[in-house]
Amino acid sequence: MSALDYTRQEMMAIATGREIRDGELAIFGVGLSMLAGYFAQAHHAPNVRAMTEGGVYGATPVGGLPWGIECNRLSVNATSFTNALDALGFLVGSGRCDVGIIGAAQVDKFGNVNTTGIWDGEIGEAYRPPKTRLPGAGGANDIACGAKRTVIMVTHEPKRFAEKVTYISSPGYLEGGNARERYGFPGGGPAAIITTLGILRPDAETKEFRLESWFSFSSIEEIKANTGWPLKVAPGAHVVPEPTEPELAALRRVDQTGALRRKA
Amino acid sequence: MTPNKLIPLAEAVRRYTWDGMQYASGAALPIGSDAIVFGRELLRQGRRDLHAIFHSSSQQLNLLAGAGAAVKAECGFSALEVFGFANGLRRAVESGGMALEDYSNLAMVLRYLGGALNWPFVPATTNIGSDIQYRSAFAPDQHPARDKIPAVTDPFSGREIGAYRPLTPDLAAIHVTLADMTGNSIMLGTEWSRFELSRAAKKVVVVADAIVDSGCIRQFPNLVRIPDLIVEAVVYWPFAAWPQGSPGLYDVDEEHMNLMNQALATQAGTDRYVADFVTGYDGLDSYLDMIGGARLAELARTETAFLLDPYRQWILSPDHVERLSAKAEAA
Repeated sequence: MSALDYTRQEMMAIATGREIRDGELAIFGVGLSMLAGYFAQAHHAPNVRAMTEGGVYGATPVGGLPWGIECNRLSVNATSFTNALDALGFLVGSGRCDVGIIGAAQVDKFGNVNTTGIWDGEIGEAYRPPKTRLPGAGGANDIACGAKRTVIMVTHEPKRFAEKVTYISSPGYLEGGNARERYGFPGGGPAAIITTLGILRPDAETKEFRLESWFSFSSIEEIKANTGWPLKVAPGAHVVPEPTEPELAALRRVDQTGALRRKA
Repeated sequence: MTPNKLIPLAEAVRRYTWDGMQYASGAALPIGSDAIVFGRELLRQGRRDLHAIFHSSSQQLNLLAGAGAAVKAECGFSALEVFGFANGLRRAVESGGMALEDYSNLAMVLRYLGGALNWPFVPATTNIGSDIQYRSAFAPDQHPARDKIPAVTDPFSGREIGAYRPLTPDLAAIHVTLADMTGNSIMLGTEWSRFELSRAAKKVVVVADAIVDSGCIRQFPNLVRIPDLIVEAVVYWPFAAWPQGSPGLYDVDEEHMNLMNQALATQAGTDRYVADFVTGYDGLDSYLDMIGGARLAELARTETAFLLDPYRQWILSPDHVERLSAKAEAA
């Protein structure tokens, strides 16, 4: 460990923010993905064209993590208020958006995401209500279909990393290979799954996610033990550089209320 | 003469709602501008078996579901953003008391658009290929679902895409920041899908935090996204979205958001909440007293208050609105 003290959540947010490049049209979900995105803007991507699906544009959050993508902490300095059809349709569903960050309750080896519910076992032929109802797809399905690439942010636990998600709320590579092509989505699919332990990226052919790198406080063994499918390790897998002081300082300016600093 | 459409909230609910109807609201994201008082009044009048159409759920649907008044719902997102899962909705779905049909957030607004344009269907290029297409809570025995987002062929490319069913709810109760007495409305903050919903619904009631003189409407006609010609009635109700926020006027009431959601997690808590905060007031003044003057003042000290500045000169005083309402009733 370096001299810097930081949490796993902060490392996940910084690693996610590093995926965002300056000048891109980027869409962030509420909560952690918004912190990761606005961290990128505060640190290395000052010209990122950041938006949320709420149709609130040009805003930089004030007073800490916004309660929602329509909330006054964002509305206070917006340059344009539009609507859902514009943000999710014209700018994302159209294929215009470069990158989107989405969260997951459950993710599988092809990057399919479940945010709809937790069932005891398979759903079965007939649909039945989940044992635990989750928020549903929201805009994530539209981002997963439309954004040129997506980054999935998720806490690394065995129950969240399944061979196959129980319910596909937002498509990754579906059954793998070129399965996405059947649907003609403008978006290319998930470029990375960034977790509290490391980074997974898809194999170019099979689209199966493999371990590409781990955080300095983690290890290949720990990540494998927390993944619900036999995780392959990509050739050249390596350790992720730790946060730099400027990175951590930028993240904490954005995360004013310390949402990421609480140690899990 | 310009029609005066101001009516009391209770009268709007009596006149425009019924058991088993398709009721739309919540068209401004889960913790933002929503006509939550309209949902409280639906419960006060004992409306039940509602088929709720909420682009995103809000505390209104959380309450209607938790109190057992909604038996069906269609949503793109069904939680409360950073405030977490919507416990009342969750309890209703998990117990099987309310069938929740899932779509995405883009799908819901496209379905309003389809309803507004009287299209037979709307092409679906998202939601296809996922379980949103294959699973239906309204037709649980079909797998893959046949009637939810059926596959259709794009006549130009020959590619298989999906078809969304357009929405034309019986009524939309839409929260707006400002309205004049005839229903011309201005929304501050994102309109989310209130524009499309106002055209898709068979009838529209606007619930306004403030009533303005029509001079305001004539000063900013570009901002009047809901014009009077599609509005049946105007309800004046300050803090109508409480405990959610209304840009320019008041912030989210964090404490009550949590209190309400915790209460809705159980039947006993819901009963208590209904007694305290749904049937526990009688009319606008006692509603405001219930929230409390100090709390109202604190919520109104929003950093977004400057957004209201261009409109302030036209905002009518509560007394003035009361006189107009009395005139409307007499007419």
